[in-house]
Amino acid sequence: MITAAMNRPHNRRKQEKIYLHPLPVRLWHWLNALGFVLLIVTGFQIRYMDLLGLMSFETAVRLHNWVGFVVIANWFLWFVYYLFSERVTNYHPDLDPKSFFRRYFRQAGYYSWGYFQGEERPHKVQPHDKFNPMQKLTYQFVMFISAPVTFLTGLMMWDVERFSGLIEIVGGLRVVNTVHVMMFILFVGFILVHAYMGFLGAKPSSHFKEMFTGYEEDHD
Amino acid sequence: MKTMTTLGSLLLAAAMLVALPVTTSAAETAGDPDAKCLKCHSKKLKKKLEDGETMFLQISAEDFGQSVHQVIGCTGCHRDVAKGKHPSRRPIANRREYSLKHNETCSQCHAAKYQAYEGSVHASLVAEGSPNAPVCSDCHSSHSIQEQSVYEPVSGEPCSSCHEAIYDAYAGSVHGQAREHGNVIREAHVQAPICSGCHQAHEVKAVAASDYLRDTCLDCHETAAVAHEEWLPNAGMHLKSVSCAACHSPMAERRVDLQLYDKLTRMPVGQGEGDAAIADRMREIDVSDDGLTPFELWKLVRASSREGGGTEVTLRGRMEVATGVEAHRLAPRIEAVRSCESCHEGGASAFQNVTVSISGSDGRKERFAADKRVLNSVVSVDSVGDFYAPGGTRIRVLDGLLVLALVGGLAVPAGHIALGKYLRKKSGKN
Repeated sequence: MITAAMNRPHNRRKQEKIYLHPLPVRLWHWLNALGFVLLIVTGFQIRYMDLLGLMSFETAVRLHNWVGFVVIANWFLWFVYYLFSERVTNYHPDLDPKSFFRRYFRQAGYYSWGYFQGEERPHKVQPHDKFNPMQKLTYQFVMFISAPVTFLTGLMMWDVERFSGLIEIVGGLRVVNTVHVMMFILFVGFILVHAYMGFLGAKPSSHFKEMFTGYEEDHD
Repeated sequence: MKTMTTLGSLLLAAAMLVALPVTTSAAETAGDPDAKCLKCHSKKLKKKLEDGETMFLQISAEDFGQSVHQVIGCTGCHRDVAKGKHPSRRPIANRREYSLKHNETCSQCHAAKYQAYEGSVHASLVAEGSPNAPVCSDCHSSHSIQEQSVYEPVSGEPCSSCHEAIYDAYAGSVHGQAREHGNVIREAHVQAPICSGCHQAHEVKAVAASDYLRDTCLDCHETAAVAHEEWLPNAGMHLKSVSCAACHSPMAERRVDLQLYDKLTRMPVGQGEGDAAIADRMREIDVSDDGLTPFELWKLVRASSREGGGTEVTLRGRMEVATGVEAHRLAPRIEAVRSCESCHEGGASAFQNVTVSISGSDGRKERFAADKRVLNSVVSVDSVGDFYAPGGTRIRVLDGLLVLALVGGLAVPAGHIALGKYLRKKSGKN
């Protein structure tokens, strides 16, 4: 896998680096990553007290709540940045679904075949269009649906009395918890795959370096 | 003339001698009418009742003399006697009927107290024909009615005469002990409650039925809500969904009671009208009588909502202690359950015993057994929507989905790496 990636033709070209990830985005990303890992660990601890003994239930709940608020605030950092940035185009939906899904499946085909053959990436990364169709759909779902729903359900459970009216409207505490846990399950799967995908750059470390420096290590 | 005068004097004296006892008796009757009653009723009088039992009619003059009713005298209550109609020859069906009749007599003077009593669980039981439910004279006695202060000591009377086991639990509790040791709790002088302190003297409540008892506890323990908020996440919800005794009677066996509740009226379902119909439906649904399964519970909630028209039924869960005796075995604060794990751990003992209940008009609950799986089933997401304890009542299906996500999340990288190896191997061969 790694050898194939390193043998790609573009890897051998010396090209000008693109500034892909501005500082607010990088700060948001790593804080979010740390927050989500903590939320998942404490979430596991809260839900599986009988199986895990990393900390007491009380500590897990308190930590989960605090980290939850930090992650919510961090989401707003991301949201406000993109709201006032011309880079918001990265999250714009594609208005031609047919074209979008053709490119989507081409990208999937690349990951499962072309990547190993050293082919060029089908999506040309640009500061204003840095996500390939698979990434775009995933991040749109994560950032605009999963994350807000998780935050909202988490808030409702953080103070059940305060949000009792809203909890009743959506069908009760059990509904709220079920939705929250389903989002938690999605994030567990997402984080594992997302972390692995991070290794699929020009070099295994490329994407990680990009998320620290902001500059693309390699582009097509 | 002198002879006549002497004779007259003798006749007058004789007349006075004859008349004297009569005059004394009249004065006695006019000054102390009870003496006339007691003249007979201090003897071992008895009356044969229509049910064959014998009712003893002897009254202790000493006891009655010390009673608070001494001032109104016998005819204060036995008014028919005052009208000259002594009921000795009137038949009495049985002792209970006679006591019930005199309940009404009490109400004529003690209207407010009697009205409170009529709203009590005791009065409900009486109305249902319970032969043991107390009427006024069962608690206050018939003729030795005492001042309120006499009921204050820790004897437990009159409640303990019927609720002996509960009283014993109370006597050993932090409240009973404080009362016995001069109302000293943690070196502070406080007025620990006796039975009526929490349950009321006349409007005796079925306390487990609502938030009534919690509010009663908080009435005295004014800082308790704030004290819980200092360490307990979602303290308000805990105080709503967990009875005080569930934690403060630490050795008690606990259970979860799911009460049928109408979201629209914000009242427990049943409350007198319709509770019998719902109870019948519950028996119809749980044909095998082995406790309501998650699906049966879902059917019950759906059917109850549909039939009621303008009702939207759900189940309101509450953790409580399994028996009334344990509810009274309250321990000092330091011994209360504080470990979150006791409820939030999967398979916690607190969730092994589940009941579904309907509230009667007097607040008493009719309970039906439910399968403990109702707390962990995905089918219950809607029906048991308002009760959830993270970890403890987690939905098992979601555990399966989480395993899938973990396996899937690891399978994607593993599969991708394996695919790469396979393709390289294949291209190497070519």
